[in-house]
Amino acid sequence: MKPSITIGKSELRIDAKDKVTGKAVYPSDIYLDNMVYGYTIRSTMPHAEIKVDKIEALAYPGVIAVFTAEDVTGENHHGVLFKDHEVFCSKKVRRVGEPIAFVVADTMDTARKAAKLVKVAYNELPAVLDPREAMKENSPKVHGDSNIIYHYKLRTGDIEEAFQKCEVVVENTYESSMVDHAFLQPEAGVAYIEEDGTVTIVTATQYPHYDREEVAEALGLPHNKIKILTSAVGGAFGGREDITVQIHLALAALKLGRPVKTTYTREESFQAHSKRHPLYMKYKTGALKDGTLYAMEAEIIGDSGAHASWAINVLRKAGVHAAGPYCIPNIKIDSYAVYTNNPFTGAMRGFGAAQVPMAHEQQIDEIARRLNINPIEIRLKNCFKVGSLTATGQTLEESVPLTDTIIKAAKEIGYEFSYDSNEEVQP
Amino acid sequence: MNEQIRFNLNGKDMEIQADPSMRLIDLLRDELRLTGTKEGCGEGECGACTVIIDGITANSCLVLISQIRDKKVTTIEALEQEALKKGDELHPIQQAFIDAGAVQCGFCTPGMVLSAKALLDHNSSPDENEIKRSISGNLCRCTGYKKIEKAIQIASDYMKKDGVE
Ligand code: FES
Ligand code: FES
Repeated sequence: MKPSITIGKSELRIDAKDKVTGKAVYPSDIYLDNMVYGYTIRSTMPHAEIKVDKIEALAYPGVIAVFTAEDVTGENHHGVLFKDHEVFCSKKVRRVGEPIAFVVADTMDTARKAAKLVKVAYNELPAVLDPREAMKENSPKVHGDSNIIYHYKLRTGDIEEAFQKCEVVVENTYESSMVDHAFLQPEAGVAYIEEDGTVTIVTATQYPHYDREEVAEALGLPHNKIKILTSAVGGAFGGREDITVQIHLALAALKLGRPVKTTYTREESFQAHSKRHPLYMKYKTGALKDGTLYAMEAEIIGDSGAHASWAINVLRKAGVHAAGPYCIPNIKIDSYAVYTNNPFTGAMRGFGAAQVPMAHEQQIDEIARRLNINPIEIRLKNCFKVGSLTATGQTLEESVPLTDTIIKAAKEIGYEFSYDSNEEVQP
Repeated sequence: MNEQIRFNLNGKDMEIQADPSMRLIDLLRDELRLTGTKEGCGEGECGACTVIIDGITANSCLVLISQIRDKKVTTIEALEQEALKKGDELHPIQQAFIDAGAVQCGFCTPGMVLSAKALLDHNSSPDENEIKRSISGNLCRCTGYKKIEKAIQIASDYMKKDGVE
């Protein structure tokens, strides 16, 4: 075989030199002539009807415009799966931090000061802040007439009968927390109009092609009139998959015919982008006397907050991975994505697969304790090997190096056990 | 109320008329367009805005320009100048960051490099703990720090070799 020219060779990353010298251009590093600055006014209530009065702010010296829902030239919406974000809230706010207006002024400082003069009158509505409550018939509704965005079901074997046969059955509830990506570079961007009328937006994004569609639709312009330039991206981890600055900047540049820039503070950044889904995980796991995992039932409820973002994909993945890397012949898994009036959640490293291990692994520890089996040996006994059939019906035919990994890790931490790593382990 | 402020920036004497309550980071970025200094939090938590003032690292988001009177301020842009003077493309610390794979999104990198410089300028052979302490004010959300520590170790070797030649 010819040696690979790529594998095994370290390539210099093409942007490394610009990054170590400070020359890499992130969106906030762009300064253009005649540029003005925008600041976003956001809701302070989780659920309320609103009325916006911008007259006083418009009179503030240095203020050039205050854009609200009525100024949106196309569809006042965006969203990766469902168009359930408004560019600017029109009648209602559904979470704290939802954009209501964009104040444009000759300096960032002026824009911030004038923002305090935009009067938002709130008529508070009952909010639902727990997804388990939000699933109930009589709960306040965030969008439409049900808060349940998605229900994923996985069934294998006969779960009722299987639990009857188990020596131990462990039942527990686990909760994971809401987490921010906290990428180091807060959102920023610049938009300007090119000579031929193209609206160009320079920003740090994970999805320039999606952004283009969303901006075009919100502005009511054809795709070929929108250009997204991806600058250097100061970390993302899934948190730059939804729209933040793009449409506000594009709209302001289009209306004003001038370059418009915005740079979020860290606090605004926290309010503007998605979070990791907190999951409420109810688990019931059963094993036979010899430590064979035999049945598992899980109900997983994911808090999507006020917008769906990638909720379907995330909760599907949580459901698919809910049993962990173990052969369990009888499975019943239900996962749900649910709207609440909390900050919205979306993509974040692992996409739903990162939360479930704390549940399925602690279940196994508890079973091992009750059966008086070494927790590593019970994992070796049940984990996926070549030839294993997963709960979703896939036969693992290629390499499955989990056994070796567990053994190596166990040895590293000084565990003593009777498994021999050279022994061929049969599924 | 502008005042006259004199200081040295990257080896050059400067005299500016400015509001003494302006933040140093705003002077560097918005006025002087030295955008290698980054703002990650604006409140002294992240270290992306690190500069060196009279040999000691400082968060330029927490420094008012009245505090830099008659002081020497070093930003990331100085390192290239230093390298060019020696006929090199990059400063050994910058080279080490590339060689160790310590750069990902790069937003923390200028601050990290300057923290490393402040350390290595005083201590050419730091041990692991000294390296860790030197970057304890700099957050990196991408790399997990290990490669950055390695980079500083390598940089110390490069700089010692440089000194011998
Ligand atoms: S921006 Fe100064 S410490 Fe974060
Ligand atoms: S490389 Fe991204 S924060 Fe350090």
